[in-house]
Amino acid sequence: MPGKFCVNLTHSKDDTDRATVGFVLANAAVGSGKETMVFLSIEGVRLAQRGVAESIHEEGFAPLRELMDNFAKAGGTIYVCAPCFKKRKLDENSLVAGASIVGGAKLVEFLSDGSPCVSF
Amino acid sequence: MAPHTPQRSGRPGEPVAPLETVWDAGDLACGELIVKLYGRMEAMRPGQVLRLVALDSGAPADLPAWCRLTGHTLLAAEHPVYLIRRKEP
Repeated sequence: MPGKFCVNLTHSKDDTDRATVGFVLANAAVGSGKETMVFLSIEGVRLAQRGVAESIHEEGFAPLRELMDNFAKAGGTIYVCAPCFKKRKLDENSLVAGASIVGGAKLVEFLSDGSPCVSF
Repeated sequence: MAPHTPQRSGRPGEPVAPLETVWDAGDLACGELIVKLYGRMEAMRPGQVLRLVALDSGAPADLPAWCRLTGHTLLAAEHPVYLIRRKEP
């Protein structure tokens, strides 16, 4: 049962529960054979910076770094909202592996065939 | 659980996959369980059977759904033990 799945993740250290559960669900999608993309936006873009996920370990879940590594290993991709990233003056040279900075058109293109998207 | 006898899947001259692989996933749940299960199934040969032990209370609903999504066959399910046969390519 092929198909695509998007997780829009808008939090990082400001809400570690949402940040973690977003990647848990993304892992469920990629592990179910879906072409899965996590769209990091708003505060979520901070997760695209090396070292940030290492500081998040929500009780009852695996450490976020491990969840993100498993996601990438299973073939998941991470898009990072360009204006959200720029607004926070983050470092393009310090992106985590597999993350790429994109504009809204990439998100729209990914979703344009009716692919589902959930937000955290 | 119903008795289950996995079949060998190798063709003549090919190495034969072990009849069954065992993985105790403990209390892994939701996406953490699924993404690791995905990796394990990818590493198995078509036809090979995984005997999975998954203690999480969501597993009885999640694992049949995952098999329907991915095309693998759920041969038997008696929580917390699940027998899953890897699909053909």
